[in-house]
Amino acid sequence: MKKMKLIESLLVVTLLLSFSSCKKIFDIKPEDQLDISNAYQNVYDADAAVIGVYGKFMGLAEQYVVLNELRGDLLDVTVNSNEALRQINTHEVKESNPYASPKPFYEVILNCNDVIENFRIMVRDKKMTEDQFNQRYSDVVALRSFLYLQLGIHWGEVPYVTSSLKNVDEVKNPTNYPKVTFNVLLDSLIAVTEAIPFKNVYPSGTNLNITVDGYPTEKFYINKRIMLGDLYLWKNNYQKAAEYYRQVMETATAGDFGENYYSQYKLGWWGTGNVDHDVVYTRPGDASTLVYNEGWRTIFENPFNSDGVRREWVWVLPFDSKFRPDNKLIKLFSPIGGDYQVQPSQRIYDMWDGQTQRSNDRGQGIPYDARKLLSTMNIGGQPVAMKFLYNYIGWNTSTASNPLLKNGKWFLFRQTHLHLRFAEAANRSGKYLLAWGLWNNGFAGAYPAPGSDVTNYHNTLREPYPFNFDGRNSNNGVPYYRADWYRNIGIRARANLLNVSIPVADSLLSIESGLIQEGALENAFEGTRWADLLRVTLRRNDPSFIADRVYEKLIKSGIASGSASAARARLMARDYYLPFKW
Amino acid sequence: MKFRQTYLLTAAGLLLVLQLLTGCDKLKDDRNSITDPFLKITLLELISADPQLSTFREYLGKTGYDIVISSSKNYTVFAPVNSALASLDPAIVNDAAKLKLFVGNHIALKQYRTADIKSETRIEMLNGKFNNMLNTSVEDAAITTANKYASNGLLHVINKSLPALANCWEFINSSAEAPAKQKAFILSLFRKVFDTSNAVITGINPLTGDPIYQPGTDSVFANLFLNRVHDVQKEEKQFTVFMLTDAAWDMENTKFRPYYVTNTADSNALVTGWHVVKDFAVDTLYKPGSLPDTIVSKFGTKLPIEKAFIVKTVKTSNGMVYIMSKMNVLPASKLKTITIQTEFYSATSHDRRSNTFFRDRYSPVTLLDFKDILVYSHGVSLFNIRYDVKEVPSIKYKAYWVAVNDFQTATFQQKLGIGTATSTILGYVNVDANNFNEVYLGEFTMSTYSPVLNIYLTGANSTTAAVNPLVCDYIKLVPSL
Repeated sequence: MKKMKLIESLLVVTLLLSFSSCKKIFDIKPEDQLDISNAYQNVYDADAAVIGVYGKFMGLAEQYVVLNELRGDLLDVTVNSNEALRQINTHEVKESNPYASPKPFYEVILNCNDVIENFRIMVRDKKMTEDQFNQRYSDVVALRSFLYLQLGIHWGEVPYVTSSLKNVDEVKNPTNYPKVTFNVLLDSLIAVTEAIPFKNVYPSGTNLNITVDGYPTEKFYINKRIMLGDLYLWKNNYQKAAEYYRQVMETATAGDFGENYYSQYKLGWWGTGNVDHDVVYTRPGDASTLVYNEGWRTIFENPFNSDGVRREWVWVLPFDSKFRPDNKLIKLFSPIGGDYQVQPSQRIYDMWDGQTQRSNDRGQGIPYDARKLLSTMNIGGQPVAMKFLYNYIGWNTSTASNPLLKNGKWFLFRQTHLHLRFAEAANRSGKYLLAWGLWNNGFAGAYPAPGSDVTNYHNTLREPYPFNFDGRNSNNGVPYYRADWYRNIGIRARANLLNVSIPVADSLLSIESGLIQEGALENAFEGTRWADLLRVTLRRNDPSFIADRVYEKLIKSGIASGSASAARARLMARDYYLPFKW
Repeated sequence: MKFRQTYLLTAAGLLLVLQLLTGCDKLKDDRNSITDPFLKITLLELISADPQLSTFREYLGKTGYDIVISSSKNYTVFAPVNSALASLDPAIVNDAAKLKLFVGNHIALKQYRTADIKSETRIEMLNGKFNNMLNTSVEDAAITTANKYASNGLLHVINKSLPALANCWEFINSSAEAPAKQKAFILSLFRKVFDTSNAVITGINPLTGDPIYQPGTDSVFANLFLNRVHDVQKEEKQFTVFMLTDAAWDMENTKFRPYYVTNTADSNALVTGWHVVKDFAVDTLYKPGSLPDTIVSKFGTKLPIEKAFIVKTVKTSNGMVYIMSKMNVLPASKLKTITIQTEFYSATSHDRRSNTFFRDRYSPVTLLDFKDILVYSHGVSLFNIRYDVKEVPSIKYKAYWVAVNDFQTATFQQKLGIGTATSTILGYVNVDANNFNEVYLGEFTMSTYSPVLNIYLTGANSTTAAVNPLVCDYIKLVPSL
């Protein structure tokens, strides 16, 4: 017994002794993971944090597309769709619906908040310069504003949290974080985003604007000016919105007068042949000669480092089998290698079929919009929305050449979004013909010159900024003239469609409705439809604008008329938002 | 002491477990053993135990099916009671093959529980034929005692036997009741048909790489009626076949002979006979009670069915055969309007694909989209597109087209060449601007039947682009009787 006691006491002493040195022995930093205390040491760490935020942001791709398209009128469920998607489709969302949870958005928002807080500490501790801070801080704030705008669009009243929290569930505490209305949220977002010190894209050559794995990273980051333009457009401040959009439209108006100068974000043609993004027929009039391998369809297939992506896309992120996250959009859209859970709605097909193409010397126009054939495919008898799949399924084979390499892109914003929204703001500012021209056949089409002297035509220079465009093109006439916007051809002309004639008496609303319709024809499935419908609905205070369109999709899909009417009734009662629950 | 205690306890525990395990065996036996006596006997034993099925049991023994239904597969046996078998033709009873066919018609290799057969279902029997079952009836018999079960299947006791009938083809081919002339004509339609399924390859053609078949193995002897109308040999489907008595057959053939004029009497008879008989089978079962007054054949011809002219009604294993003394098929129904979709052509006089436009258009007349063909600026005088139209009868046709000239305001001319590109049977017709209506082109008479008639869409005799375009949505040839 005595022996035992001796041993025990010895053990206790050793234990006690060991405690004192524990701190040094056991407090080893992990070798394969970065500890928080080491995370923000220099500007490269800050860059890694920005990339990390965007990496996490990409995990929202599926939810973003589902919420913005399936709630709208262009995308429909399939026989494969699960209950959650069906609820989204018919606007009967139950609280447990994973697509209706704001939690994933808040996880990224809190990530942004955490990064911002640490950037502040870094700049205080002189671990990065003021300039470096400004660039990165502005980017993360703008992305956070984008996420909050999405929250506002889909959930209406949401808590506005700008501090870093360790646990995302704290957001749900209403005493600390009361919900603010969409309108108040917009004010806060405009205030904080307007105040960011750096509104350009990252300067080329810096660590965040280089080429990695064949991907130029310039288009990865949110465009802050477009974010501001969007916020002002939601707030019905058309002048400010147009100013910001115009700044982006003029992105390439600098340096040499090369192809890029006239085409990037200007909806201008470029190159020879069909490399630019027009809808073309090898032999106009022969419907069987629609060009697939070049032209409009390649907007969605072009490699990241191509002129096509550079000139068309403002914001696009890559999915690559070489890095995470996985491409959930293939699961969502594709019948090959995916679950085929959504398909183009009958309504969008009918909208495409309601268009007429431009006539030519082989007869009157083809009686449908060719973007129908370029945005969708019929695979195994099933209509498939193809835009997100062209990097995976071959347009000419209808099969995946490499089924396990689920590459693709998350498309967020391109020049047609930009031009349509600028036109929306211009139209509301009373510049009807300018808006009509951007929508239909460009400045030269909207302001035609009677002869070869274009001095007083092809332009809107008499208008104040941001509505003063110069699209003059004298061809071979005298004086010889090529203005900055001379290549602008308009969205409908680019798609080979006839112009839309507008009744004079009702130009404001007709043009606005027309722009929203064009957004469907041109940008279907790209994740902006619900926002476009809701923005105009709120602006006009007319719930039938959104309710009728959703109703028409549902009734054409063959769903029971009771559910279609129920969805319409709910939207007519201004019940546009999802339940804020997780 | 302590050690011993532990050992003892462990030993006691082991013993207890062993005891429990042995006890378990008995428990298991009781719960899982079969207690239902019917599941211990086979269908054969079940049938043998029933005295009113003794005749059927005897036939089972004679045909060897007694061994089949004692085996471990799952069967449904439709067993007729003795009284139903008393009147069975001795010719069947005394012929082993016929008796086997007959008994096999009462056994199916699957379980068919009466409650599960809620709609009429064709069930396959062991002899390869099918019987229609619905609830508690099978063909003409009623199930008097249903769903008796044994270890290897179900037993239904039925009040009538299920005769193994001939199928429609067997009736046409071998029954003495089949009218002689139509039967002879159908049987004359046997042709050698290319079929490589049984072919023996003797070599490969070094030039083309095609296989060389041993003579005599690369074709099968098949009947055109079975190939091109309906394969009325198939047991799993059901057909309605019409046969005309000799007088009626002659009458129909005489009526249609002028529409299929050829240069010999024999070929005239053959073509006429084929076009008469090809409408006489449909792949739907019409029972005498539900026979409508008009049936539309596979080729769209209306068959007037007057019940007064039904001479004989024959039930077959795969449908019905009606023998009729008159079937007055109207020529207007048999001779169809021919519509040629012009974008599907057989050939063009010159390769002008690069001047050919397959256009998508909207018609303000039909309010529908349509596809048409335009050949423009081809630079060839009398440029023409050929269409092959099959089996054109010798009658008068009225010709129409829809040709939309929406690419120039000037009117131009094109024509239909019947037989040859430059045929003058139909003249040049103006194609006016923006006319979406059908345009009448004139009429022409086919003096003889054409297995393949060439029709040409021919352009103007000019090389000028504005004068010689060809445009057409469709060509329509309407019989004029």
